[in-house]
Amino acid sequence: MKCVRTVLLLVLVAACLVCSGSAFAADPPRNETLVADILTGRVSNPGNFNFWATWVGNDKGLQQLVIDPLWMADYVTGQMDNVLAKSGPIYNDDFTRLTVHLREGIYWNDGVAFTADDVVYTVELAMATPGFGYNTQFNQNIERVYKTDDYTVVFELKAPNSRFHYNFLDRWGGCRILPKHIFEKAEDPLSFQFNPPVGTGPYRLVEYDVGGYWFLYERREDWDRTATGMLHGMPAPKYVKFMYYGDASKKAMAQISHELDMADLTPESLDVVLSRNPHARGYYDGFPYAELLHPCVTGAAFNTLVPPFDNKEVRWALNLALDAKELAMTAYNGAAAFSVAYIPALLPYYETYYERLEPWLLDYTIEIDGVKHKIYDPTLPFEMAKAAKERGYDVPDTAQEIRKMFGYGWWKHSPDLAEKLLLKNGFTRGRDGRWLLPDGTPWKIEIICLTAATNPSFKWAFAIGNQWQEFGIDVEVRPTDTSNALTESGDYQVVGGQPASEPFGAGIDLYRAFSSFKSEYWKPLGEKLVGHQTRWVSEGLDRVIKAMENTGYDDPSIIDLGIEAAKILIDGQPGVSLASFPGFMGLDTYYWTNYPGGENPYTVPWYHWPNLKFMLPYLQPTGRK
Amino acid sequence: MLKKYLLPRLVQYVTVMLIGITMVFIIPRLLPSDPVEHQLSRMTAQGQYLDPAAVEDLRASLEELYGLKGGILQQYITYWKRLLTGNLGPSFAQFPTPVTQLIRTSLPWTIGLLLTSLLLSWLIGTTLGVVAVTYPNSVFAKVAAVLAMGIRPIPYYIMALVLLILFAFVFPIFPMAGGYSMGARMGFNARFIFSLLRHAFLPVTSMVVLEVGGWFLQMRNVASNVVEEEYVSYAEAMGLSRLKIMLHYITRNAIAPQITGLALNLGFVFGGALITEIAFSYPGMGYLLYSAILAGDYNLIMGINIFSIVGVSTAMLVIDLIYPLLDPRVRYQ
Repeated sequence: MKCVRTVLLLVLVAACLVCSGSAFAADPPRNETLVADILTGRVSNPGNFNFWATWVGNDKGLQQLVIDPLWMADYVTGQMDNVLAKSGPIYNDDFTRLTVHLREGIYWNDGVAFTADDVVYTVELAMATPGFGYNTQFNQNIERVYKTDDYTVVFELKAPNSRFHYNFLDRWGGCRILPKHIFEKAEDPLSFQFNPPVGTGPYRLVEYDVGGYWFLYERREDWDRTATGMLHGMPAPKYVKFMYYGDASKKAMAQISHELDMADLTPESLDVVLSRNPHARGYYDGFPYAELLHPCVTGAAFNTLVPPFDNKEVRWALNLALDAKELAMTAYNGAAAFSVAYIPALLPYYETYYERLEPWLLDYTIEIDGVKHKIYDPTLPFEMAKAAKERGYDVPDTAQEIRKMFGYGWWKHSPDLAEKLLLKNGFTRGRDGRWLLPDGTPWKIEIICLTAATNPSFKWAFAIGNQWQEFGIDVEVRPTDTSNALTESGDYQVVGGQPASEPFGAGIDLYRAFSSFKSEYWKPLGEKLVGHQTRWVSEGLDRVIKAMENTGYDDPSIIDLGIEAAKILIDGQPGVSLASFPGFMGLDTYYWTNYPGGENPYTVPWYHWPNLKFMLPYLQPTGRK
Repeated sequence: MLKKYLLPRLVQYVTVMLIGITMVFIIPRLLPSDPVEHQLSRMTAQGQYLDPAAVEDLRASLEELYGLKGGILQQYITYWKRLLTGNLGPSFAQFPTPVTQLIRTSLPWTIGLLLTSLLLSWLIGTTLGVVAVTYPNSVFAKVAAVLAMGIRPIPYYIMALVLLILFAFVFPIFPMAGGYSMGARMGFNARFIFSLLRHAFLPVTSMVVLEVGGWFLQMRNVASNVVEEEYVSYAEAMGLSRLKIMLHYITRNAIAPQITGLALNLGFVFGGALITEIAFSYPGMGYLLYSAILAGDYNLIMGINIFSIVGVSTAMLVIDLIYPLLDPRVRYQ
């Protein structure tokens, strides 16, 4: 009996100890710690920080807090921020030489000074190491890199390139600068783990989970010797913890429990968080809650080498059969900023591009049987505002604010015109009213998309599929984990995703968005993709892209070329250019406030972007324990 | 004995491994995903400025680095050469991190989780099964049967979610994610061990609760046949205690299928428990394998599966070898 009692006692003590894990926990003080989600999930190789060589879960805090680039794109302000560079890139007249002036007084977190040697070494090491991310590009472009003094680096290029510096412009990627004094000691730079990471950013790594779920960083004591400190002051949180809780439902639970300050959620899980956590908010404090202005246009892309999508009028018919307002309501409860012109809805692009494009859009016509039809609907944002109001949401009243929220217009919902276009091209309706191909067989469209239900690829694919179905076409939407592989080889009809590439979102240049349509990158079906997944090309666009290449990235005339390219794309309509990527982030203001949001968009609001380091000095602690 | 019993089994063991390992070389190459394309699309999708002009060169460079140039036969020969020296090659998705390093990071979690839950559920289920047969009219037997049959059909994910919501959210006793807490330095120290137990408690419980039912029902079914054998009746007639009959007559004669099941399941331990890992955000091999499949990471897929093939084959061999020791009937045959 005594023995049983002893065992019971031991079990009880063990259970208490296990359950009261807090007695043993050594989490940093919560009120001094910002906790953010790891967007790309659990890290499989948590101890590897060498992201020049491979994917290491770059958003585990490494790119946001520890390592700096020369420049960083801020799509909210539209600026290219100087980070380790003191000023913007300086090209010579024929774009064969780039000079970079570096910021002085920056130190690596182990106390060594940052100089031009680090930049030169980064580039030379990348060129000498196959497998490094920029090995091929640098070898193709760079003739020689050298320093002229400790804070000036010169790149001599093999051929004129007015955009070579884009390789160093961090936009969730870019060649960041590595510490020469650490890497030169590494036997094999490719397999070198770079643990602990030594960076010029304002934080240093303290501890990480070998299982890959969390990473803890502490603010450097010498934060004033970092670019962040010099430009923006002391980052407010003493600690930043990156933690992957799991899917959106688990993130929501963590956020309701005040365990997670910043998270990427689904519209549904954000709803739950907002209803259960009075301190939580979305990007907007009220409707539409989501961040709608993002440098990525979403919708769908046609495989323009596969009939009948090789016919421009069919692509137009499919666009006109869509009701944009209904799509936005179905997929995102009305939270969408329309991007009709293959250019993302983004504040910096509104004035530069959409304002200038709108008169052309208003006059844009398609001709059917000799009759011209104006098809652009500029009133859509206002209709969206009205619909949102009818659903009981507070929506701004001014045209400017409404545009800021919902973008510019989109194509009028014109099923009658779509019908005429299809009939003109030999399509017919069967006895059951369903569309038949010109050869008389039933028309069936397969839309593939990503499997993540949070992604616009998935959301738009289903919403678009439903509308085409209602229009009389048999549609099957197939979410698949091999979506990328299928589009790369051209084995698809329509894919939910991006109808054009993503621009930097910083500056006025749209070269990055359109250059993938260059015909020299074209590949037939079955061959691996190099250019855009639509495989759509146009002589006119080729000419514009060539002109862009011969124009400086910041030359005002680049805007006209961007507008010209957008017009050509609209005319060719290789996809469904619907809306910017809507991001549903949950922000808990229990411990921290003054996150960038719809009312105060001072920088990129996402915690997984490298811009986080520039956000942290502006966060304010609430003082709650 | 050696020639008749051991040798055929050893030949079978080696053959199964050869075929299995060859299959895991071939099957990933039939996937639509491709490691080089995955790497390229990850570079571009996640923001790296990749000049399309550089894509083709980069593609060729990566194929060379990954050892994917040359015919499939040549790759197969290289693969065996490497394998025989204990080298599973580099992971493509996390190049050049060796596959062994990735497996080494995840395997201990998987073994800890699955071994614990498997042994616990086996022990509890087997014991309850035989007790329920020995004392068929007891309240315990009836309750155990109802519970086993009632809980077993519950979808695992639902069970996991219920446990998680109850004990990590509504009553936040256990953590929502991870394998251990911050500050708990890995090693044989109280803080780490308690942290480990606390994090593993819900995942292990979820698996044990559902698996116990299976072991219980299997043991009960076999034991209920055994209990009707004449030797059990003789034992009862001899006036032996129920406990003695249960241990020496029923359990011993009914345990063989349970041991086969246990051994097979031990072999499968290396594959990981994907849903458990996802539900509880717990580290392990399941997620590693899943991401390897998505990325077309041939070497990692092969590496993980080789562990499973060796695990299952070895478990089968061991079972074959120890069966005669456990069950004299096999020995006599």
